[in-house]
Amino acid sequence: MSLLSAEPRVIADATPRNTWTSPWKRVTVIGGMFVAVFWLIVVFTVQWWAPYAPLEAVGKRLQPPSWEHWFGTDALSRDVFTRTLYGARQTLPVSLAVIVSAVSIGTVLGAIAGFVGGRVDSLVMRLVDVTPAFPPIFLAMAVAAALGPGLRNAFVAMVIVWWPIYARLIRGQVQAVKHRDHIQAAVSIGATRWRILRKHVLPLSFTPALINATLDLGQVVILTATLSFLGLGAKPPSPEWGAMITDGAQFFYQWWIAVAPGIAILTVAMAFNFLGDGLRDALDVRAKR
Amino acid sequence: MVAVGLVAVVTAVSCGSDDSNDTSATAAPTGSEPTAATDAGGTAAPAAEGRELVIARDMDINSLDLSRSYCDTCQIFNTAVYETLITVDPADPNKILARLATSWEGNADNTVFTFKLDPAATFTDGSPVEAKDVKWSWERLANVKASASYLMSGLNTLEAPDAATWGATFEAPNSAFLPIVAASYLGVINSDVATEQGASAAADADTADKAEEWFLANSAGSGPYTLESYTQGESLVLARNDQYWGPDKPVFPRVTFSQVKDSSSQLQQLQAGDADIAMQISLDSVSQLEGDSNVTTSVVDSFNYVYIALSPGAEGAEKLQDPNIRKAIVKAIDYDGAIESLVAGKGKKQASPIPNGFLGSADLTLPSYDLEGAKQLLADAGMADGFDLDATYPEANVYGVDFSLMMQKIQQDLVKVNINLQLTPVQFPEWADRIDAKGIPVTAVYFAPDHTDPSQYIQFFGEIPGSSWASRAGGGDAGTPLDNPKESELLATALASSGDARTQAYTDLGQQMIDDAIIVPIVNPQLVLATASDITGMHYSACCNLDLGLLGLAG
Amino acid sequence: MRRFILRRLAVMPLLLLGIVTIAFCISRLIPANPLASIVGERALNNDKIVAAAKARWGLNGSLPEQYFIYIKNLLTGDLGTSFRTRQPVTDDLLHRLPATLELAAGALLIGGVGGVALGAYAASRKDKPADHFSRGFALLGSSLPVFWIGLVFLFVLYARLGWFPGPGRLPPRTKPPDHVTGFYTIDSLLDGNFTLFRQSLHRLVLPCFVLGWAYMGQLSRLVRAAMLDEINADYVRTARAKGLAERLVMRRHVLRNAWLPTLTILGFSFAQLLTASVLTETIFQWNGIGSYAVQAANTLDFPAVNGVSLFAGLAFLLANLTTDVLYAVADPKIRLA
Repeated sequence: MSLLSAEPRVIADATPRNTWTSPWKRVTVIGGMFVAVFWLIVVFTVQWWAPYAPLEAVGKRLQPPSWEHWFGTDALSRDVFTRTLYGARQTLPVSLAVIVSAVSIGTVLGAIAGFVGGRVDSLVMRLVDVTPAFPPIFLAMAVAAALGPGLRNAFVAMVIVWWPIYARLIRGQVQAVKHRDHIQAAVSIGATRWRILRKHVLPLSFTPALINATLDLGQVVILTATLSFLGLGAKPPSPEWGAMITDGAQFFYQWWIAVAPGIAILTVAMAFNFLGDGLRDALDVRAKR
Repeated sequence: MVAVGLVAVVTAVSCGSDDSNDTSATAAPTGSEPTAATDAGGTAAPAAEGRELVIARDMDINSLDLSRSYCDTCQIFNTAVYETLITVDPADPNKILARLATSWEGNADNTVFTFKLDPAATFTDGSPVEAKDVKWSWERLANVKASASYLMSGLNTLEAPDAATWGATFEAPNSAFLPIVAASYLGVINSDVATEQGASAAADADTADKAEEWFLANSAGSGPYTLESYTQGESLVLARNDQYWGPDKPVFPRVTFSQVKDSSSQLQQLQAGDADIAMQISLDSVSQLEGDSNVTTSVVDSFNYVYIALSPGAEGAEKLQDPNIRKAIVKAIDYDGAIESLVAGKGKKQASPIPNGFLGSADLTLPSYDLEGAKQLLADAGMADGFDLDATYPEANVYGVDFSLMMQKIQQDLVKVNINLQLTPVQFPEWADRIDAKGIPVTAVYFAPDHTDPSQYIQFFGEIPGSSWASRAGGGDAGTPLDNPKESELLATALASSGDARTQAYTDLGQQMIDDAIIVPIVNPQLVLATASDITGMHYSACCNLDLGLLGLAG
Repeated sequence: MRRFILRRLAVMPLLLLGIVTIAFCISRLIPANPLASIVGERALNNDKIVAAAKARWGLNGSLPEQYFIYIKNLLTGDLGTSFRTRQPVTDDLLHRLPATLELAAGALLIGGVGGVALGAYAASRKDKPADHFSRGFALLGSSLPVFWIGLVFLFVLYARLGWFPGPGRLPPRTKPPDHVTGFYTIDSLLDGNFTLFRQSLHRLVLPCFVLGWAYMGQLSRLVRAAMLDEINADYVRTARAKGLAERLVMRRHVLRNAWLPTLTILGFSFAQLLTASVLTETIFQWNGIGSYAVQAANTLDFPAVNGVSLFAGLAFLLANLTTDVLYAVADPKIRLA
């Protein structure tokens, strides 16, 4: 979804729910879970069962897909299928880290802003408004140019760009929740603001953030790949998916070099999208703003 | 519903399009049917005027002002629009041919050079090319202090004793001068026309000269073509000079350089007949053109090469200070494998920074892959366990070689002797900052000659004072460990001699640089010359890249 | 309303100044040497050449000095001369703007019309296979990187099937139409050159579709949801009870309420479009602002980088303002703060 969406993205699909029983829904959610679990397994265990090593020359260069090499070989005779699998180890951990960091920072700042209000709120909202004024790619390019290429610096750039969404989301939720009776009751008996935030407000507000985060993972994966495509992310010879697509662009007629990582990105993005949808249904959110 | 309709409308409209590109692309990508040279749509010139030439190229133009230009495409432009006094035979880089000058000679110790200008030579406006124009043009080149200005360094005086005679004197002997004169940047500008437009050749030309913008739309030369228009990022168009004075009249009424960035697009345009010449087809895709009767391809040797540089003086490169370790690295690289991976085998090994085909390269021993020898050298130096090295390099894809691929290949090779390269690709400006500030232990660059004399390579790569790579690698000033005084001596000898003595001096210099083990050429890539079948005279020139005046049409 | 617009417009120069300052600082502070692109690698060692280049391109002097000179020139409309093209940045940008705008307009059109149509169709066939197919199609567009889609489309639809022409705005060997708007489609129509119109339109289809697919996906989801809400609303049931044809019901009542989500997402998508156009222009060899920006960044062409940042900031702020205004027009209940 829109990277710079100011509105929480759970506007959509706010119809009365009976779709858990829809067979199609179940298929997609279960499918999503399978794919997600598959990639998690890959990230942790691929070194034990991948057909080749990702950085070694094995066989002839630029070979089309065959039984020995399911997605052929690239310009340095490396097995594309193996590199795609290993690429998960580059892309997925970084993407998860970006989401977790962005959600954490955004939640903390947004919750404080929403709960405390006043000047603190204005300050945080200024910060939130300023960041999207720069197209994220330019911001990422600037950060990468300043700090150098590499996944770690790309991570910093992406977190800077992503946290405002969650800040705004949580702030909205907190503001809505803060006037509920039991919160007021807690205030009146003198509970500290921190305690109220932690024990009462946040649990109620967090659900939309969780759903958004799951839906967002695919977008972060794509942004990571985009940064690598532009030369700002993973450094060679790392088999990161975006970097592999860059290689594929150079060898236009050897389509397998770009297709394999593209399919990988597609499966991850769709899987987490289905999972996010399923999560939303399960938690029955009808937050329409 | 509406969207489907919209798509249908657009498709219907486009299907009726006469775009010649897709009618020929429906045939297989190889072996397409011949299409008309002028396309069947748009506003093309009528066929009656003669065939226009279209060159598909990724243009790297930094300026169209002769004195300020400095790029590969600029060389082609400069050669077509302006003329030098002499030029170099494309078939033999050591053979000099006449152009604006009818005779040229240097005195015995290469300090005084005299040229006689051809009285028939005229500029596009009809005025004769005189010695004063040569003087003005060369002084301007020196005084605008642009990238090519260094070619004029060391000059003592420039004299024009009469309108047809021209002389240059040097303080120190300079046997490189004649090849330098053939470089396209020393072309002759119509000084009267240029001065009217704000150009200046005075000592303060770098601030006083205001003509660069005028040159982006106009030219003032004597060559077979003139500048018609330039749209940055799209096209450079040259028109025929119908008053060309020279014996070989230009054939094409118009020559268009079309900006096409990637090699596969250039190839497709060539096959479809949309381009007549494609200059940067990747060596891997040449096979796509086999069997296509409309396209003629030949693979020729070039004088460009890509190399890696080992800088002992860089931060983190202390281990490279031992020359045996550097030599071990030189032995540990699989050159044949690299040539196969990077340029599909269409390239050559090169012994020293002096390119194959230049004086001094002929008798040197080519490097060979010797893994055991490398391991032995490292073990003897106590480095059998290896070490890490930072390898920051510029992201580049030049002359068919992708630097990321090259560095990954070298990394693969060096892992076998336990040397681990940490690869970091950066953009060129960042690389430039790093190489001059802290230095980089292992990096990659490329070099294309500015002229056909080997001295440029010593001056740039040698371990002598004033050499760029000497200071980057951490030495060069007299007395530092890397400084090689023998190279300074040999260079002075070479500049003062001629004939066999000169060749021997350069051969010795080549060997010295091999022993320095600082600059390691990886591959001298070949060039694909791909043209439409009816184009004649296609070549590659060491001084000028491509001389459009030599191209013609068959039949 | 008018006060709202005026207030936003008044703040804009300040925001732009901020953007330009940030761009200026970032570009000057990163550890890279712009002279490398200006004089070339070989001349970097030559002090005279380097000094002359620094003087010529205003790289002498301290950072604050350079900043004030830049701002001073900016106020007179002078964005400086590009290191790389040697032409005024203003000219460079104006020359390339129509290309990007044409691309963006096409993408918004395809995405907008396609998104609304797809969303409405999916809503009307809820939970049937057609609904799933539409949603899947939409999802595909936002689950793939734009540059990958572009590469695959080029490979399949151009190189292998030949249904579409290759990268570039015009066929090779073709001259552009006389410059009126800079949009090749419009200008060729104005010229009366229908062949050229068809050719330029044909070449717009692939990049615009690639660019617009993600937008189409997002929009169709929102439209579908909004319509599903409305379909069950009381007044629609009343209309149906009164015997109104289903199609009329859809069009008159339900589709009208698709405006709001369309507008909502329009503004946010603009920034995405700017970003994605950078990638699309690179792949389809479109001579627009996106590819100019990439080349400027890679060669550290300060005037161009600053110029593009200024332009991008301005475009973004205007887009936000337009969206907010349209939002208020569409739904009077929204109070413009």
